[in-house]
Amino acid sequence: MNGSARSNALARALFGALSVGSLLFTWWLVTSLELVKPLILPPPADVWVGFLDIWYGYLNVPFWNHFLASISVMLGGYAMAIAIGVPLGIFMAWNRAVDWVVGPLLQILRPIPPPAWIPLAILWFGIGYAGKIFIVFIAAAVPCILNSYLAIKQTPSELLSSARSLGAKPHTLLFEVAIPSGLPTIMTGLRIALGIAWASIVAAELVVSLAGFGFLIMNGYRNLESNIVFVGMAAVALLGLLMNLVFHRIERAMLPWREDQDNG
Amino acid sequence: MPNNLSYENVTMRFEGRSGAVQALDRFDFQVKSSEFLVIVGPSGCGKSTLLHLTAGLYKPPTGRILLGGEEVREPGPDKAIVFQNFSLFPWKTVHDNIDFGLRINGVPAADREDQIKRVIRLIGLDGFENHYPRQLSGGMQQRVAIARSFVLKPRTLLMDEPFAALDAQNRQIMQEELVRIWQTQRPTVMFITHSVEEAVFLADRVIVMTRRPGRVKEVIDIANITGDHHWRADPFDEVIRRADFQDVRSRIWGLVKSEISVRN
Repeated sequence: MNGSARSNALARALFGALSVGSLLFTWWLVTSLELVKPLILPPPADVWVGFLDIWYGYLNVPFWNHFLASISVMLGGYAMAIAIGVPLGIFMAWNRAVDWVVGPLLQILRPIPPPAWIPLAILWFGIGYAGKIFIVFIAAAVPCILNSYLAIKQTPSELLSSARSLGAKPHTLLFEVAIPSGLPTIMTGLRIALGIAWASIVAAELVVSLAGFGFLIMNGYRNLESNIVFVGMAAVALLGLLMNLVFHRIERAMLPWREDQDNG
Repeated sequence: MPNNLSYENVTMRFEGRSGAVQALDRFDFQVKSSEFLVIVGPSGCGKSTLLHLTAGLYKPPTGRILLGGEEVREPGPDKAIVFQNFSLFPWKTVHDNIDFGLRINGVPAADREDQIKRVIRLIGLDGFENHYPRQLSGGMQQRVAIARSFVLKPRTLLMDEPFAALDAQNRQIMQEELVRIWQTQRPTVMFITHSVEEAVFLADRVIVMTRRPGRVKEVIDIANITGDHHWRADPFDEVIRRADFQDVRSRIWGLVKSEISVRN
């Protein structure tokens, strides 16, 4: 990193702290002057109390139960989406027949927003884990399939021609040229899917659940405890951010050859 | 094993959006074994098509191409092709790019290391084995692309404007390097370029092609003009100042220009 890039990073961090700081300050100011009712916007102190409440067991359910409920369902659905979506997208791109059979089905299902599946998921799989895993799977599979498909379709033709002229047979072209060439695009799909998976588990929990962050938010709302709603939302945001960071690390480790290693 | 190339009435047409395009029309030619043949001609005269057909990447609808008397039916390491845009595998290091062809053609691991080491020394890239393509200059990348083909001991080396993307200095260096590398095995070379100087410097014979549909307009026997001491045996910047070199250059340029201006 050169000098100007370093001072840029410093300025960026400074402005970031300033903008978040002024938001928190305004929040504190508005609530302590009692310009809005605590139900509409709870003061920071109330939110802290709500946090402690949840941490030590809100409604006798320990914090980690909520955490595990949300994370386990999300990871289950996400893993299924990757395991099925990535190979499906790859084979659709590689084999015209698969594309022609599966493509139209996807075009019909794709425009349905994931939350619209919730009632059906409950009818089919009940209100337990299975229904929510299904929701997450449906939502996260779409970017997995689409990006894997694109990744293979966009393999530079000169790479394929070079490989063929070096003696590569079709299976080598797929596994040693098209897939590694498309891996960055596939990884981008997995990253988008991660965000969508997280959003859909919370959405599913808002509708029906007995634990998890969506449950916390909805329960806070039903009991008119807006501080609980705030804590639930903050936890969703922080965990989402954290997962994205972890994913970024994995992505970088998997793609050491990328040019844009230093960006984003 | 003779490595002569015979083109017997090769015709090629493409179905474009605005109807069929005739790329080659009854191309009939004999390339001698170990000859360095350079093809010049106006853009879109079917030069690249000719190389792709020779590499076996697709089949001509009529006519035949024979390498050492056997008809070319499919791509393979005996017909290596090098493209203008360095078509190295960006996710593989220099070492692994060169290893790719050896490995998929079943060369035993012990022999591979030895051959890779030797070819890397030949192209002067010792110490760069573990670099990714993006960490190399254009000239270095093109050396690796040549090495990757060359290590498989091709019978014919097909080069599609390989130095067109390089700056003038690197281009000159690479022309001299190519001559040196080629001399070690002397495969039959089919080399396409837009640079008439490059053609006159490198070629045993230069083919000037007509505008589309491409046919042989004229063949200039450079080796016959230079005798035993070919121009390419001397440094490029010395040769280019010689009167006999300039005579041939302007004669060929005149032929190419007449093909370009007929259209306008």
